[in-house]
Amino acid sequence: MSESSFSMNDLLRRKLQTSLIVISLTLCVASTLFLLLFSEKIGFGIFFMAEGKLTTGFSIIFSRFIIFTGLLIFIVGAAIMSFMVFVMMSQKVRDIGLMKAVGCPNDLVFGYFITELLVVTVTGCFLGVVLGILADFASTSLFSSFGFQISQKPINFWFVLLVFGLFFALALIFGAKPILDTTKVSPAKALSPSYHLGVSKESSFRVTSKSGLTMKLALRSLFRRKSATIRIIICLVAVFLLATVGIAGGIIADQTTKSWIEKAVGRDIVLVAHKDMCNQYKLLLSKFHESNAIPRIIYTDAKYSISEEILNRLSSMSTNISEIDQRLVLEMHVKELVGYIIEEYEVVGDSREGDSLVIGVEPEKVLSDCFVEGEFLKEDQPWEAVIGDSLAQGMFTEPLNQSIGLSGEDFAGFSIVGVCLDPINNGNVTYVPLENLQDITGVSKPNVVLVRINPQVNRAAVLGYIQAEVKSLNSEFEVLDLNTVLDKNLSFLGYIWSAIMFLPLISLFSASLCLIAYVMLTITEQRQEFGVLRALGANPKTIVQIVSGQSLVVLLLSCATGIAFGIMVTLLILVPEPIVTSFTVAEISAWLLTALAATFILSLYPAIRFAKKPILEVIN
Amino acid sequence: MKADKTVVLASNLCKTYEIGDAKVEVLKGVNLNVEKGEFTVVSGPSGSGKTTLLNIIGGIDKPTSGKIVVFGDDLGVKDEDFLASFRCNKVGFVFQSYNLVSTLSVAENIAFPMEWARKPEDYIKKRVEELLKVVGLQHRAEHFPFQLSGGEQQRVAFARALANDPPFLLVDEPTGNLDTKTSLKIVQMLQKLKGDRKTVIVATHDERIIQLADQKLYLEDGKLVSLNE
Repeated sequence: MSESSFSMNDLLRRKLQTSLIVISLTLCVASTLFLLLFSEKIGFGIFFMAEGKLTTGFSIIFSRFIIFTGLLIFIVGAAIMSFMVFVMMSQKVRDIGLMKAVGCPNDLVFGYFITELLVVTVTGCFLGVVLGILADFASTSLFSSFGFQISQKPINFWFVLLVFGLFFALALIFGAKPILDTTKVSPAKALSPSYHLGVSKESSFRVTSKSGLTMKLALRSLFRRKSATIRIIICLVAVFLLATVGIAGGIIADQTTKSWIEKAVGRDIVLVAHKDMCNQYKLLLSKFHESNAIPRIIYTDAKYSISEEILNRLSSMSTNISEIDQRLVLEMHVKELVGYIIEEYEVVGDSREGDSLVIGVEPEKVLSDCFVEGEFLKEDQPWEAVIGDSLAQGMFTEPLNQSIGLSGEDFAGFSIVGVCLDPINNGNVTYVPLENLQDITGVSKPNVVLVRINPQVNRAAVLGYIQAEVKSLNSEFEVLDLNTVLDKNLSFLGYIWSAIMFLPLISLFSASLCLIAYVMLTITEQRQEFGVLRALGANPKTIVQIVSGQSLVVLLLSCATGIAFGIMVTLLILVPEPIVTSFTVAEISAWLLTALAATFILSLYPAIRFAKKPILEVIN
Repeated sequence: MKADKTVVLASNLCKTYEIGDAKVEVLKGVNLNVEKGEFTVVSGPSGSGKTTLLNIIGGIDKPTSGKIVVFGDDLGVKDEDFLASFRCNKVGFVFQSYNLVSTLSVAENIAFPMEWARKPEDYIKKRVEELLKVVGLQHRAEHFPFQLSGGEQQRVAFARALANDPPFLLVDEPTGNLDTKTSLKIVQMLQKLKGDRKTVIVATHDERIIQLADQKLYLEDGKLVSLNE
């Protein structure tokens, strides 16, 4: 018999086993390829959406997530696939032993089974690629029809080649190992259950309860297939790591970034300024979520100046207003000044120049509390500056070791003491002390005032009151509630995170399918044993309990490890200074428990189906 | 009064297997009556349906038509939960291929039908020791099935079948895979069961076992005939 005809006959006669492996391989390749293609599109979607929006610091966090999730998706797919092939070939060990025992030469035995492996791998990978491309096409069309911004760029065939090539190579390596190992051992050893089942330790007899017996049988079978068990646990650890990074990381990052925005803009803050300046300030804040062109205005125009009268009137409303933060907002030409890293005897900086929004503030009265790397301005340090992340990324090499020069006084140098995440003007902003900015520019009065309304008072009534008071002093002046802009920025962030979190959810679904395939394989392997148990009095429920016990042990072990690693990766690598509240923990726990329960319930399906089969069909 | 003594009552029992388009009639209207304490032997050529008959009597399989009543219960109409309990408590089954659970040790293989029957822990321990002594395998208690010879596995299968002290035993080809010396031990065990007045049905070709029978039956072409007359 030729190698190919033996392999084809063997595969066709074991229809269930062969179809299970091919389906599992197809699913792994398809889901991985689909996720890579689709995440690339969502990724581009995000960058496309974020083009000219978001601050650089936020974009970096999103990019990190997309890259890390994509990498994990690939690892998960490869791990699941290598596991399936390993299980398949491990089941052939006894057959290899039999063939060797009847005198079949080693190279021929190896040839038979490697051909079988090749046929299954090529079929699975090919079908997987086709299914992956179709799934990508269908999802893109579906999402576009729902109005999501998904890139319509053609399929990246490098991804297709990469997935096919890598999965094919991994399948061959992992599948060939048990064949090669078995061809090296004696036929007697290969035939011995102690080798192909791995049961070798003697056990001390201990009577257990009925439920204990069920668990004992479940655990014995798991430990008996030590190698397969370790592999499925590794696969599921990767899956849960991915799910945790997606779910927990997504939730933590979502809340953290939202908190940054909320602190940077400030909750319950009202802007008092000239109507044009109000509109300008609103557009500058909205630049974070929409890329409308911002008109150029002359910030130094005297009509924008806040008069003493207005300031005094606002100060007199102490029952309604708790804090006042007057600012001078300007657009200036700024320059990167070289800095010195003393410890490394190094000069940094390229003297780059550009425009930036420059805001003069009274450091002790600033109402916003944005996330700052380094420190914020101090009252007694007039020559210090804090710059936005986009400006820091775009114009500075080592911002915290450099200074920023503001035009007007021959590029007066301000030492940069902090880099902040601030949505205004998309992070292209510089904060300097107000007095010093006034001295440099010769603009003596502020042009915006931020006030915080007392939380105890009737907000709408007070807004109306302030509006009327301000208008009575200068009809050109208005009051702008910043909560509306803040809420729009927050929902934009929420939309992006929900798009990112969608990826691990799909991956979790494909992992559930693979777990079902694993359970089906383990049932196939234990079917005779289950048949015996039923013939001797076990009812179908007991069989389901044994299989569910196995699934649960595997799931809990991998879930605990995967979640622990996922949380570590999220907190230590992906999100700087994460905000974790008790609500966050409860939300994450609820999501992950749902994922665990859903995976567990799905994995029971083959067991329930199997338990209903007639005993004789199972035992023979 | 006679009804109380009847353990197995099969009437017009038929079993047909469908393999693809082909239909194989294994049992064609089998009638059988086994009474309490009776030692019945069913012989016949390979493939004649002996195992199928035992499977139906043991509640492992269901007839295509006809009636099978064991201990007064019509097994053909009972649900799976009833049959599971029946197999656990009322009948001991010794399979031709031993069918020991590979992941359990010898002692555990004998113990688990008792654990399912919710017997007390002390009782199970004592009973396992007792049965191991009966089958002469005390030294093998902690070994796994694959570490035993065929004869030893068959003896474990006997011990397991007797674990819940069922009133009725079904034994399928107990010496079919064994050498003469080993099979003698099995014959002696069956003799002891007969002496204990257990109701036993054995499917076998072994003349030594056939000689023990109170009721000798022969199954050929799906039909059962008595050899007693």
